[in-house]
Amino acid sequence: MPDEAPSTIDRRKFLTVLGATGGGALALSGCSTDKVERLVPYLVQSEDQVPGVATWYASSCTECSTGCGVHVRTREGRAVKLEGNPEHPVNKGKLCSRGQAALQGLYNPGRIKGPMVRNPDGTFKLVTWDDAIGRLAAKVTGGKVAVISGAGAGTFSDLLAEWTTALGGRLVRWEPFGHEPFRAANKRVFGVDKLPAHDFAKARYIVSFGSDFLDTGLASIENQRGFAQSHGFAGGDVAKMVYAGPRMDLTGLNADEWLAIAPGTETALALAMASVVAGERGGAGALASVLAAHTPAAAAKETGIPAERIERIAREFAAAQPSLAVAGGIGAQHAGATELCAAVNILNYVAGNVGQTVDFAADLGSGDGYAALGELAAAIDGGQVGVLLVHDANPVYALPRTSRFADKLKKVPFKVSTSMFLDETSALCDLLLPHHHALERWDDSAPRAGVRGLMQPVMEPVFDTMAAGDVLLKVSQKAGGALARFNAPSYQAHLRAKWDALGAAQGEKDAEGFWHSALQRGGVFQAAAQAAPAAIALAADAGARYAAPAFEGQGDFVLAPYPHSLLYDGRGANKPWLLENADPVTKITWHSWVEISPETAASLDVRDGEILRIVSAHGSIEAPAYVYMGLHPGVVAVPLGLGHTAYGAFAEGRGVNALDLLGAPAGDFVSYLSTRVTLEKTGKYRKLASIAGVPRQLGRGIAEAMPLAAAKKGLTVKEAYLEEGHGEHELNTEREVVALKGWSEAQHQATKFGNYAGDHPQWGMSIDLSRCTGCQACVTACYAENNIPTVGEAEILRGRELTWMRIERYWEGGEKPGEPVSARFVPMLCQHCANAPCEPVCPVYAAYHTPDGLNGQVYNRCVGTRYCANNCPYKVRYFNWYKYNLMAWPSPLNLQLNPDVTVRARGVMEKCTFCIQRIRGAQNQARLEDRPVRDGEFTTACAQACPSDAIVFGDVNDPESRVVAAKRNARGYHVLEETNVRPAVTYLAKVLHSVEG
Amino acid sequence: MRTLAIVLGAVCAGGLVAVLVLGGSRSAAQTTKPVADSVRAAVITDTTSLSGPRQPIFFRHDIHAGQFKIPCQYCHYSVAVSSEPGIPSIQTCMGCHLAIAGSDSSAKTEIKKVRQAWSEKKPVEWVRVHYLARHAHFPHMRHIKVMGPNACATCHGDVSRMPQVFRVNNVNHMGFCISCHVERKVSRDCSVCHY
Repeated sequence: MPDEAPSTIDRRKFLTVLGATGGGALALSGCSTDKVERLVPYLVQSEDQVPGVATWYASSCTECSTGCGVHVRTREGRAVKLEGNPEHPVNKGKLCSRGQAALQGLYNPGRIKGPMVRNPDGTFKLVTWDDAIGRLAAKVTGGKVAVISGAGAGTFSDLLAEWTTALGGRLVRWEPFGHEPFRAANKRVFGVDKLPAHDFAKARYIVSFGSDFLDTGLASIENQRGFAQSHGFAGGDVAKMVYAGPRMDLTGLNADEWLAIAPGTETALALAMASVVAGERGGAGALASVLAAHTPAAAAKETGIPAERIERIAREFAAAQPSLAVAGGIGAQHAGATELCAAVNILNYVAGNVGQTVDFAADLGSGDGYAALGELAAAIDGGQVGVLLVHDANPVYALPRTSRFADKLKKVPFKVSTSMFLDETSALCDLLLPHHHALERWDDSAPRAGVRGLMQPVMEPVFDTMAAGDVLLKVSQKAGGALARFNAPSYQAHLRAKWDALGAAQGEKDAEGFWHSALQRGGVFQAAAQAAPAAIALAADAGARYAAPAFEGQGDFVLAPYPHSLLYDGRGANKPWLLENADPVTKITWHSWVEISPETAASLDVRDGEILRIVSAHGSIEAPAYVYMGLHPGVVAVPLGLGHTAYGAFAEGRGVNALDLLGAPAGDFVSYLSTRVTLEKTGKYRKLASIAGVPRQLGRGIAEAMPLAAAKKGLTVKEAYLEEGHGEHELNTEREVVALKGWSEAQHQATKFGNYAGDHPQWGMSIDLSRCTGCQACVTACYAENNIPTVGEAEILRGRELTWMRIERYWEGGEKPGEPVSARFVPMLCQHCANAPCEPVCPVYAAYHTPDGLNGQVYNRCVGTRYCANNCPYKVRYFNWYKYNLMAWPSPLNLQLNPDVTVRARGVMEKCTFCIQRIRGAQNQARLEDRPVRDGEFTTACAQACPSDAIVFGDVNDPESRVVAAKRNARGYHVLEETNVRPAVTYLAKVLHSVEG
Repeated sequence: MRTLAIVLGAVCAGGLVAVLVLGGSRSAAQTTKPVADSVRAAVITDTTSLSGPRQPIFFRHDIHAGQFKIPCQYCHYSVAVSSEPGIPSIQTCMGCHLAIAGSDSSAKTEIKKVRQAWSEKKPVEWVRVHYLARHAHFPHMRHIKVMGPNACATCHGDVSRMPQVFRVNNVNHMGFCISCHVERKVSRDCSVCHY
């Protein structure tokens, strides 16, 4: 049975009792004496909750400093799903995996249950909020207060700043992978201390200098949307993207060309390109002479890329109008990062992109940088800090161990943390004042100019926590003195007053109306005032400099630690969705790995999974090897985010922390790309917990692609192959044609009977591979919508992953040395075949075809023979091997479950249902309103989440529907079409630029 | 939230009757004829012989729905819009029982329990009578939409004559659902209910 029955009675006993009483008035509760289901009504029915009907609230995401808008779906007073807010200008209805997984932060079993104080033996004991606030109030008046907070801007951040100033303390806003080099470069080159937004939609040629703008970069959802517009095929030309960096990240895998440059030499490349572009276009003024020294030949020596190639790319860049160069990633996190950002600024300037695709009006916020944190550390050493408050930051984990921040923290007499989790920093604190989760509190965010996002509590707090804003106010009221002016009755009142003032500043007379409209829409969004491009001018000393990178220590390899695609700087490591969802590049789950290039693997004789010891001057770590073609031979790369020593059961003791290899940071930012390392073989081995499957297509035509020229002519995939000179595959031989005819007649006959008679919708999907970036937001959405259990590392190692939707990644090229390597991504889900191989083999009719064109899977019929999965050519059926339903959601994580979807138990086959609960929900609603279901009224969770709108879902029988229009595309093909399974999912082939050497 | 006007009126022998006039858009469908003719619910002194599980409060559907003809949807208000029929909140009970204290000693005792629950802010924990397995989805609103507001009895039996609710039909017997679906020539597709 798909669910654990609440009573202890089994089927046989049930039938016996039923027989004895004649099947008459038998109350179920009468069968079982110990387990009686109770119905507990509300005392007072909430006005905005109807049982069984979802209530949506608008709020803002706080998982990173981008500040996307979210819509929270609640059922019976519990948040069950997060989706993007379509009105929000940054993310326009989309949300990345990390944002969606905020739900698992809300219900995380590792959350601190209430205010706590440290016992002398290092353990913590729960106290009352009155007691806890009294303790802090008694200390803050003593002065010498310091605060470390995250970089997110907004009313709370302002309050915290004022509060700290009133106490005469110092506030440091800091987060890892900050944007300090960008700000410094913008100041130096343009005299503007701002972070610009990038318009990828407008750009016709994009060069990324190590920037992972599609994945771990700031505003990745916005970037993906823009990138899909310019780089996705819509009939005309498509933009070209070149990625320059020592490691191909997800953005690199989406590029048309990869320049595998030596680590730290991006600046040389950018300046050489600027020099060529300035020569082509002129207008560089005084800069031209400076740039003249940076020739492609000089850059070729540094980067290892031939001068002709650099020159060609620079000319292409100059010719495309407008173009866009972006810096970022680890390239912008090494000692020469400011020079790189400055060089990229100059390149954009000489190509005329500033004001076109580089928009300084947006002014994305950022923190104070590492330098401020360093000063604070020095102040702690000097005994100038008596009370330290840490909010929304985990510096003990996120700083290299050599910075000895933990030791410094221990020197502070009284340390307070507002962290929701017992992380590495809060574990060292004396007083824990756990913060409300973003979905439990009033707050707002100000991520960029013109955008103010509002947050509202969507449910009662899960634990005995308190909003940090209320803590500040209550402490102020108790302590009095300099803090007496913080007299708002609650943080909610304080926020409301600020918003009333904001409304007044925007010329709103009706404060109440302004507030309610903002609450409904999730904030106020104004188009940022258009920056006058003239205002952005080159400063006198634009600083076109390049210094060859210097790396610390000895060793054959440069260590490139990079933020994990899903765990980011480590903040996602306590969320099982993010741990189980595979890294989009390597497809590895749950553990750390070290990437080495095939050349290194050959020279050291290392294969996937061999455990290597990586040794630097500062420490060593051990991790299994992953041989990665997208890596410069002189580099080893390790993802960050794991290796926690605290932070809850999911994170602790999992993987290694590559920060242990780095030296103590100096200057404005943590220099991640700074160390040389050696590799040592340990002789040990572990299997990689990877869900990759076969890495290459082997001629199966799974992820099809065609040249741009062919796509522009409107050729089909087959025609494009013929044009390229490939021979035709012999498919429909005479016998097959007869068989196909017979099959289609039989189908026609079958539609006359029973449930199948009459008109039904036929649900179908189209997935555009020229838009898909492989980011996996759809996968996380599927986990959230369909109650998919995370099975854990041990089960994944046995090949028992349970992911209804997965992104398959196939390598192309790279088989011979020097051959360019690229990747193709295919979102793979149940294809809902019309002639499905899974259906006829089911002995109990659990897998069957529904009248509306779905491959139904009836859990309560399924007896678990697994014949269907064996017969599925797409491997999209997943078996529930264990009681994952009891293991995957330790309380209170079970509260996130979607009540519309059955929680499957052991022994059941499960798979994508095209979100049948959404289909039935829309049909029920349409029936109530006496109308047909409208196209686009609902969509599947994956299509809803896709940041690049690659997925379209709808009724194929409705000629006006968007999915029919999408399926008509000449690029459409079916995966494994030759098997005649007639899938309902049409893929649109990827479109490739022809790449010259 | 719907607006409702409660008019306290006619006095029946020995007891107060609340004639409830419903307003608001959701109650538009409730103009159909009452379930049964006016019947006086019997006075019950011995509850041991009654069918069905014993509830924490001896709430008598036969008095509320039978004798006083309060429409089902007055209390189970979400049945026409949601898959869940909704168990009335204690506030709904108190809407009437602020004024109505009961006529005989047994009624008085039970109504006192409601008032106590209200004042102590402890909702009554009813014993569940109808339990549908969680792998089946039954959208109440669609059935009410098609079969009308008084269709409840089709599955739940004539609750208006039950002093204590008991199960008349086993809703977990799929045959019970299917026979109706066959009779009415509506879909028998598995995935309509099972997903």
